[in-house]
Amino acid sequence: MPAPTVTIQAEGLAKRYRRHLAVDRLSFQVREGEICALLGPNGAGKTSAMRMLVGLSTPDSGTASIAGTPVRLGAPVLRRVGVLIDGPAFVPHLSGTANLRLLWSAGGRAWPPPGLDEALDLAGLGAAIGRRVKGYSMGMRQRLMLAAAFMRRPDVLVLDEPANGLDPAEVRALRRHLADRSAAGATVLISSHQLAEVQQLATHAVVLNHGRLAAAGPLGDLVGAHASLEDAYLAMTDGYHDAAL
Amino acid sequence: MLRFELTTQLVRVRTLIALACLAGVPVAAAIPLAAQPGQRNGNESGLFGASPYSAANHAMASLEFMAPLLLPIVVALLACAIASADRDWGVLRYLYVAPVTRERLLAAKLAATALATLIAVVVVMVAGFAAGTVVFGWHPFHIIGAAPLTTGEATGRVLAATGYTLLCMLAMAAIAFTLGLLLPRGAEALAIAVGFVVVASIINGQHALHAVAAVLPVHYWQNWIGLFDPAGAPDLALGAGVQLATTVLCTTAGWLILRHRDPAA
Repeated sequence: MPAPTVTIQAEGLAKRYRRHLAVDRLSFQVREGEICALLGPNGAGKTSAMRMLVGLSTPDSGTASIAGTPVRLGAPVLRRVGVLIDGPAFVPHLSGTANLRLLWSAGGRAWPPPGLDEALDLAGLGAAIGRRVKGYSMGMRQRLMLAAAFMRRPDVLVLDEPANGLDPAEVRALRRHLADRSAAGATVLISSHQLAEVQQLATHAVVLNHGRLAAAGPLGDLVGAHASLEDAYLAMTDGYHDAAL
Repeated sequence: MLRFELTTQLVRVRTLIALACLAGVPVAAAIPLAAQPGQRNGNESGLFGASPYSAANHAMASLEFMAPLLLPIVVALLACAIASADRDWGVLRYLYVAPVTRERLLAAKLAATALATLIAVVVVMVAGFAAGTVVFGWHPFHIIGAAPLTTGEATGRVLAATGYTLLCMLAMAAIAFTLGLLLPRGAEALAIAVGFVVVASIINGQHALHAVAAVLPVHYWQNWIGLFDPAGAPDLALGAGVQLATTVLCTTAGWLILRHRDPAA
């Protein structure tokens, strides 16, 4: 049986913000049907790497590809990608529905998107979807942003801290939705600090530390002889947390 | 994308209030003169003095009053918001992954800015004509110290003056738009754009600074008034050229800013 296709590929990605080297020669792959967790301490370069993977940031060196196509700002291949990055963001004086409509039609497509009903079910905003977003709680904004990512029924998902602000029931619903999408062949890359959650969801993980790749592979291999992903993660991030404590 | 810009900016309470202010000035200016239609406005000269003679007179007097400050402030407000609001809200990154290319984004923003500028100028003219029609009625365009204009002459000159003012406001919009792209926050861009208009107006009033004033677009904004002056119009071509040059220069600068800025930086 042939190996699943590589959908997300980072090859030697590097990004420097002034004197700070945020990402240093980062290479990894995520294949079709995998749920890959991008892990690392705060400032390890997870969000910077994700920005480069969706074209929001130009790498100083290296390439980011999705489905074999190098990604740049506004690249057509991004039509296949559902994105949540740097937190939710909306036009505050418009309703949830109007925001979804604008974000969808900005890509030059006719309303409604193919996965709208399913995405709205997951968001579970009910009548609030018709209210102005500026009155939304943090959790509601996060759910609406997830709906924006899912409504296009993408076959690639790049989600930065998708469970932020969600309650336990919502986290479970999100986990099930991502598992379903993955089972249907979607490729999922998520960043998270919630290791217990990651352990329940991810099939693979990429661990960053100080902008560099610390480890990558199937989750079972990474956990190895450790009691949990948390123990393995702390061992891989070379005492960062000990120093922080 | 144009729909995105129009929906988020034009159909917005702040924008509607700004446009209502533009419309309110000609109405407010007509009310005190309601008792003297067809008579000179006190000792005023020029368009202000002839304002109560006809709807067209009142519309052009309103434009003369608003074109130096209030109209450019509203135009700057709209242009800065169109340039920067999506970045201020954080929505810009989600537009890029929609995906929208830089070229489409800039084209939509420029089209929305031009449309917003046109709407602002039209609101002033429509409000001036509407208030003038109700209060003073339709009569031949009166020029103090000269024969009234025929309908054809008046129509041509009103259209020329409106077109020229639109060109001037497009230059203002281009300046504000570029500042909106350049500066981190839309509010900063608006403050600097308004400051520019105020400082340029002050420089324009200083004879010693004529050489500086002559290279600024603000210097030429009121040149259209000469179309209604018995002494004749100054050279509108030079003013139009300066406005066009400003618009092209600022639009090019805006493109370079958008092209070279890393949206995540």
